[in-house]
Amino acid sequence: MIALEAVSKSYRTRRGRQVVLEDASANFPTGHNFGILGVNGSGKSTLIRLLAGTELPDRGVIRRDARVSFPLGFGGTFHGALSGRENVAFVARLYGADRRAAIRYVEDFAELGEYFRMPVNTYSAGMRARLAFAACLAIDFDLYLIDEVTEIGDQRFRKKCAAAFRERMQRSDIILVTHNPQTIRQYCDRGAVLAGGELQLYDDVGAALAAYRRVSGSEAA
Amino acid sequence: MAGVSAAAAAPMMRGADDDAPAQCRLAEALYYDGRREAALDLARTAFAAAGESEPVAEFCAWLFSNCGRHREAAAAYEALLQRRPGWAAGHRHASGSYAAVGDSGRALFHALEAYALRPADCGIACHATELLLRSDRLAEAAETARRTAAAHSQDEIALRLLSEAEMRLGSPERALAAIDRALSLGPDTVEYHLHRGHLLGRLDRWDEAIESFGAALALEPGNVAAQRAKLSALLDSGRVEDALAFGGALIHAAPDNEEIAQALLETLNRRLATLDGDWVVLGQRRLDRLRPPRPPAHWADGFKTQARVILALVIREARTRFAEAKLGYGWALLEPTLHILMLSLVFAVLMRGQPPIGREFFIFYYTGIIPYHMFVHTSSNLAYAISGSAALLQLPLVTTLDLVIARGLVEFVTDALVAVILLVGFSAFGLHARPHDLLGVAAALIASWLFGCGCGVVNAVVNRFVKSWDKIWVQLTRVLYFASGIFYVPAMMPDWIRGILVWNPVLQAVEWFRGSFFEGYAPHWLDRSYLAGLALLSLLLGLALERRLRPRLFEPS
Repeated sequence: MIALEAVSKSYRTRRGRQVVLEDASANFPTGHNFGILGVNGSGKSTLIRLLAGTELPDRGVIRRDARVSFPLGFGGTFHGALSGRENVAFVARLYGADRRAAIRYVEDFAELGEYFRMPVNTYSAGMRARLAFAACLAIDFDLYLIDEVTEIGDQRFRKKCAAAFRERMQRSDIILVTHNPQTIRQYCDRGAVLAGGELQLYDDVGAALAAYRRVSGSEAA
Repeated sequence: MAGVSAAAAAPMMRGADDDAPAQCRLAEALYYDGRREAALDLARTAFAAAGESEPVAEFCAWLFSNCGRHREAAAAYEALLQRRPGWAAGHRHASGSYAAVGDSGRALFHALEAYALRPADCGIACHATELLLRSDRLAEAAETARRTAAAHSQDEIALRLLSEAEMRLGSPERALAAIDRALSLGPDTVEYHLHRGHLLGRLDRWDEAIESFGAALALEPGNVAAQRAKLSALLDSGRVEDALAFGGALIHAAPDNEEIAQALLETLNRRLATLDGDWVVLGQRRLDRLRPPRPPAHWADGFKTQARVILALVIREARTRFAEAKLGYGWALLEPTLHILMLSLVFAVLMRGQPPIGREFFIFYYTGIIPYHMFVHTSSNLAYAISGSAALLQLPLVTTLDLVIARGLVEFVTDALVAVILLVGFSAFGLHARPHDLLGVAAALIASWLFGCGCGVVNAVVNRFVKSWDKIWVQLTRVLYFASGIFYVPAMMPDWIRGILVWNPVLQAVEWFRGSFFEGYAPHWLDRSYLAGLALLSLLLGLALERRLRPRLFEPS
């Protein structure tokens, strides 16, 4: 479960102060997959980072009583001088997961071959992405945070990712941000809309989509 | 005929304003003649003059209502109901007028009055049910609907409303039973089939839902709502191929229908937006949780987690510390060795044989370089602890404090190991390299390290906000190199210079180290509590700054 209590967050841009949340309270209960909808620029990515804890709110508290993942597929934490294997070991050690099991899982899943034992600096972008995706799945998080569904690799690898992810969704929840209503219909059973500093949660996806259409429609007009 | 008589009557009536019934008759004639505005004007005049007269008010209400002036109609009905409170049809009409202008509170009030007066009237009961549903008074609506449907079991509308109420109350099974009965009475109503389909969808009986939508389409092939519903149902039941086929057929039949095209586009998007182009069926997901709930967090867990995080960071830091240099960790050893060697050679020549303390130049410079390096390495490298590992802050577990602690530990272990290895090396070459007071030496190193940590955290924070602070810091450490008694002892300095130098905490660290290393060296200017106090103070300042500015340290620059 993640609970937001009177959370405010804004940041400065060239166009002035951008408010992401204004005194927002919300409760993401365990056992549900949430899709958060928001138009571009409403602060979806900031919200995901707030939920993850990689960014701190200006005011208010965010409570988590589950093991929350870092945003899925985020590979920015890999150290270029370390091998893929060492980077996975680091992440496993950090989260107190079984290191050998994590390394074995990633070695099987990411299909890096010899490169798994070579510095990440030598990887192509695709190899990095595969490593990042596998590293996130190698740790058994209670809740996965996803900032837009990104597609990596070829058709066959995508199938493999989807299958692995679907299997994981049997046990773990997800919170997904997107501006694509279709994505939410596929993955989520509940929805939320982020607009104008407010975060509104809905018990069903249809209601969230309807609210989103109102918000995005009025902004387009 | 009516037109002629109305036109002839009009001028005559102008003078007789008080004859309201006559005005009403004229207004009626004008209304049937199609001259609504004139009729309304007359009726308004009559109502204003003789609104208390029942026939006048009744006529006016009728006219207002028929001309779409619902607010005025409602006022007229209200006036009438003042006189005839038990007039059920009046309440029903008033309710209709209020509903037409959107005053749902008054509309519901009159509907319930009418229903209370004539509960057996099916039309009145259905109207009341509808308004109750609209006001979200679901329990009462269901109650009314059940009673009405029981009394009028052959009335489709009552059954349709019952189905709506049951659905909204959350019992789709009962709603389904009601709509099935309504359908048996009126099997040709498209809307009933649509409603039934949606109910079946809610019950996850997709095949039957699709059948219902199909039945609606059989009655009215062009019904867009039914087309979309069927398309959605095919998708939601996982029959993606059928959905595509159905959508394709629709497009083929009506290539210009934008709404259908939009629906089909959504279908295609849904198909393509999945990771693998396959449908994730959420229905397969178990609703009861396989994962046991986490035990409530214990206060010690936080420490355990942080210890784990710091250990992971230390290992990573140690692995990457000298990643660019070919020598790796050898570099950590080589730097002070070369440094000491150079100093020893230069000063051995300059000083002709005798160091200020002890007998060996190597040992004397060692006792200066080691505490100095401990401070400089720690304070300088901690300055990059945050900016150098900013990406790690993207991992929710890692905080800026963890980064600082981890790097500080790595610095300490590295420099302490180097100190030990050098001493062992000196012994191997036959030099007298045993510290007199091992604990004192360790304490001096730790004090120097702590002061380095304090300055390092301050540096890390300042670095984030002051550009090229790191360059200024490098210059400062150069000054300290000369001001810390590394290649001399303060005793060699004139009193006034020494008086200034002893305020230098790094010189104090060096003197502390030497005082413990060499037996009999106890300078009176050594003040251990001064260095310890400064170390503590700088640490507090650094950590306070870090805590206060943490949100801004987190932000990607």
